Amino acid sequence: MNIEVLWLQNNLGWIVQLTLSHLYLSVIPILIGLAISLPLGWLAHRFHGFLPVVVAGSSLLYTIPSLAFFVLMPVLIGTKILDPVNVVIALTVYTVALLVRTVADGLDSVPEDAVQAATGMGYNAFQRLVHVQLPVAVPVIGAGLRVAVVSNVSIVAIAVLVGIPQLGSLFLSGLQLRQFLPVVLGIVLCALIALLLDGIIQVSIRRLTPWATRDGAAS
Amino acid sequence: MISLHNVEKRYPDGTIAVHGLSLEAPTGKLTVLVGPSGCGKTTTLRMINRLIPLSSGRIELDGTDTSHLKDVELRRQIGYVIQNAGLFPHRTALDNVAALPILLGAKRRSARAAAMELLERVGLNESHAHRYPWQLSGGQQQRVGVARALATDPPYLLMDEPFSAVDPIMRAQLQDEFLRLQREIGKTIVMVTHDIDEALKLGDQVAVLREGGHLAQLATPQELLERPGNAFVADFLGGGRGFRALQFADSDVSATVHAEQTVLLGEAPAAPGWEVVVDNAGAPLGWTDSRGPIRTEDIDVSGTIAVVNGDLRSLLDAALSSPTGRGLVVDGDGTFLGTVTIQEASDIAARHHRGIAA
Amino acid sequence: MNYLSWLFDPANWTGVSGVPAQILAHMAYSLLSLAIAMAIALPLGIYIGVTGRGTMVIAGIANTLRALPSLGVLILAVMLVSLIFTNDLAYEIPAVLVLVMLGIPPILTNTYAGIQATDPLAVDAARGMGYTPEQILWHVQVPCALPLVLSGIRSALLQIISTATIAAVVSLGGLGRFIIDGGATSNYPEMIGGAIVVAAVALVVELLLVGLTVLVVSPGLRRASQRARRRPVEPTTATIAIDLTP
Repeated sequence: MNIEVLWLQNNLGWIVQLTLSHLYLSVIPILIGLAISLPLGWLAHRFHGFLPVVVAGSSLLYTIPSLAFFVLMPVLIGTKILDPVNVVIALTVYTVALLVRTVADGLDSVPEDAVQAATGMGYNAFQRLVHVQLPVAVPVIGAGLRVAVVSNVSIVAIAVLVGIPQLGSLFLSGLQLRQFLPVVLGIVLCALIALLLDGIIQVSIRRLTPWATRDGAAS
Repeated sequence: MISLHNVEKRYPDGTIAVHGLSLEAPTGKLTVLVGPSGCGKTTTLRMINRLIPLSSGRIELDGTDTSHLKDVELRRQIGYVIQNAGLFPHRTALDNVAALPILLGAKRRSARAAAMELLERVGLNESHAHRYPWQLSGGQQQRVGVARALATDPPYLLMDEPFSAVDPIMRAQLQDEFLRLQREIGKTIVMVTHDIDEALKLGDQVAVLREGGHLAQLATPQELLERPGNAFVADFLGGGRGFRALQFADSDVSATVHAEQTVLLGEAPAAPGWEVVVDNAGAPLGWTDSRGPIRTEDIDVSGTIAVVNGDLRSLLDAALSSPTGRGLVVDGDGTFLGTVTIQEASDIAARHHRGIAA
Repeated sequence: MNYLSWLFDPANWTGVSGVPAQILAHMAYSLLSLAIAMAIALPLGIYIGVTGRGTMVIAGIANTLRALPSLGVLILAVMLVSLIFTNDLAYEIPAVLVLVMLGIPPILTNTYAGIQATDPLAVDAARGMGYTPEQILWHVQVPCALPLVLSGIRSALLQIISTATIAAVVSLGGLGRFIIDGGATSNYPEMIGGAIVVAAVALVVELLLVGLTVLVVSPGLRRASQRARRRPVEPTTATIAIDLTP
C-alpha cells in the first residue's frame, strides 16, 4: 500500500500532464470533426446522389485500424513521427467518418413540412438550416457526437504505441514495471474523461432542445 | 357460417370494448361490421381468429365451438387480410402467397404454380409476381394480400379495413374486383370498415355497431337505407338515403323506352334539335344539337348511361343528368336502345316506393 | 528513407514470422473471437428482440463498456491472467477474452434492433395466418433482421481486427507484431509495412463481408432497411453505433 501512495506522490505532476494531454487530444478532433461534418453532412442531405459516396467513403476510412492509421500518418501527410498532430488528424478523420452520416441522417429526419413552411415564410437556405433543421436534428447529431467522443478517448490511449504521451503511457508503464496501479488508474481516468465529455454533450443537447421531454424523445 | 354468441371483451382496467355481441355471418355471404371509431368492430373481428382472446361468450364455425381449437389450428382455417397488407418484405409477391402452403408441407413448385393462378385471379400478372413488396403500389400490395389469404382455400375470410389504405379511385376499383371475385369463390366473409358506403356496396348483410360493441342494427343494405332501425343508424348512414336506397331497386324499362333520333359520329344530323351520337357498334357517346358533321368536340357528355334492366338509381340519374331530360338506356351489350324521361323514371320510383310501403 | 523497403523485401514474406504467417495468426485470433462473440450475442440478441425485455439494461451496459479504453483493459487482463498462467496462454486467453467482449455489443444491439425493426404488420399477418411463434421468428423476423445482423457482425469483426493489432503489445502474434517490434527497434519501414498490410487486410475483409451481405440478404429488404433507418427513431448511442456501416 505504501509503495502505491509513494508512487502516486512522486508522479502526480506527470499524471496530471498526461490527463490534460489526453483531454486535449480527445476534444480537439471532435471540434474540428464537427465543423467539417456539418457542411459535408448537409451536402449529403441536400444532394442525395452524394450520400452513397459519403457512406462508402466513411465506412472505408473507419475500417482502417487505428494503430495502422497513426503509423501511416507521417507518410501520408509528411509530419514527423512523434508529432501529436498525427493523432489529432487521424481522430478527426474517424470523427468525420462517423459524424457525416449522422448529420445527414439527422437532417433527413426533419419533417419536410416544417422546412417547406419556413421557405414559405421567407427563410433563406442558411436561416432554414440554423433555425429549423439543425434544432430538430440536434438529438441525432448529439447522439453521434457522444459515440464519437467516447470512442476517441479510447483510441487516444493507443497512440502511446507510437510514442505520444497521454494516459496510455500509464498502461505501458504498468505493463513494463509489472505494477497494477498505473494501469487501473489509467483505466479509471480514461473512463472518467469519457463519462465527463459524454455528460457535457448530453447536457448541451438538452439545453439546445427545450421542447424535448425528459426521457429524450424529441417532437 | 360464423356465429357469435354473447361475445364480450373486457380489459383489466375496466373498459368493455364489446358488450355481449351476438350475430351470424351466413355461409357464402359477405357480412360487414361497420361503425364509428371505438365501436369495437376490429376487436370483434380479431376475436374470431383469437388474435384477441374472448373474455366471455362463444364463437362457432359451422357449429364447432372455436374454444376447442388451438390458436394455430383455428387461424389456419381462416384467411386473414389486413390494412396495408402486411406482406413479408423479404419475399416476392409470389412467395408471399405460397408461404403458408409451403409451411404446411406443400411442394415448392406446385405451391408456386397455385400461387401464380391466385395472383392472376386478383388481377396481377407475372411481372408483379416476381417483385418485392417495396416495388409494388399500395393497390397491388393489397391484391397480393387477398391472394395470400386465399392460398390455402380456407372456407372463411376475415378482412380488416382491406381497402382503406389506398386512394379513392383505386379503392373503387378494388371493391368492384373483389365483388366479382366473391361471386366466383363464395367464401364466408366478415369484413370490417369504417366507411358506410363501402359497407353498403359490398355487404350482403351489414352490422352497424355503436360504441362498446353494441349491435345497433343487422340488415341488408337495402333494408338499412329504407328502414333504419333507430336514430343512431339513420345518422350514421348519413343523408341522401332515399336516393341511395334506389341502387338496390331493380327497374325494367324495356316497355317504357322511347326511340330516339341518332346520328353516327362524323355524319351530319338529318333534322334540327337534339340527337344521340352513336359509334359504329351502336353504343351511345352522348348528345348533340350541332349541325354539320359531328366532331368529338360537339358531343355533350353530361348524361350518364343506364342499363335497361339495371337499378333505379342509375336510371333516375341518367334522366336527371341528360341535357334533354331524357336518360340514355342501353342493353346488356352496351347498344343504345332509347331514352326514358325524368317523369317516367320518377313514376317507376314512386311505384317501387308504394311497393315498399305496402 | 524508403518507406516501402521493408514491405517489398521478399525475405519478410517467408517463414514463421513472415507476413503471410502473421496474417494467418491475426485472422485466426480474430475469427475465433468473432465466433465466440456471435455464439453469445446472437441468441441473446434474438431473445431480447423477441421478448423486448432487457433493452435498457443492455444499452446501459454497452454504453458503459464503451467508455473503457481497450488498450488499458487488454493490458490489465493480461497482467491478471499471467498471475495464473506462465506460458503463452497468459496473453492468449485475456487477449481473446477482451476481443470477444469488444465484439459482443455491436452484434447484440444490431440483432435485437433488427428483430424489433421487422414490420409489425407482417408479424401480425403471420400470426393471423396461423404461424406459430417459432415459425414467425425463423420465417419472418430473422430473415428481416438479417441486414442489420450482418452489419453488426461486420462492425464487430473490424473492431476485433483493429484491437488484435494492438494486442501485439502484450505479445500476441499477428500483424501488430510488425508495428510493435518495428517500433521497439526504430525500424520505421517495418512499422509502415505492417500498417499497410493490416489496413489492406481490414479493407479486404470489409469488402468480402459487404459482398456476402449483398448475396445473402433478400433484395426485398434493401429498401426496407433504408426506410427503417429513416424512420424517426429515438436516437440512442447504441443505434448510432449501428449505423456506422451501410
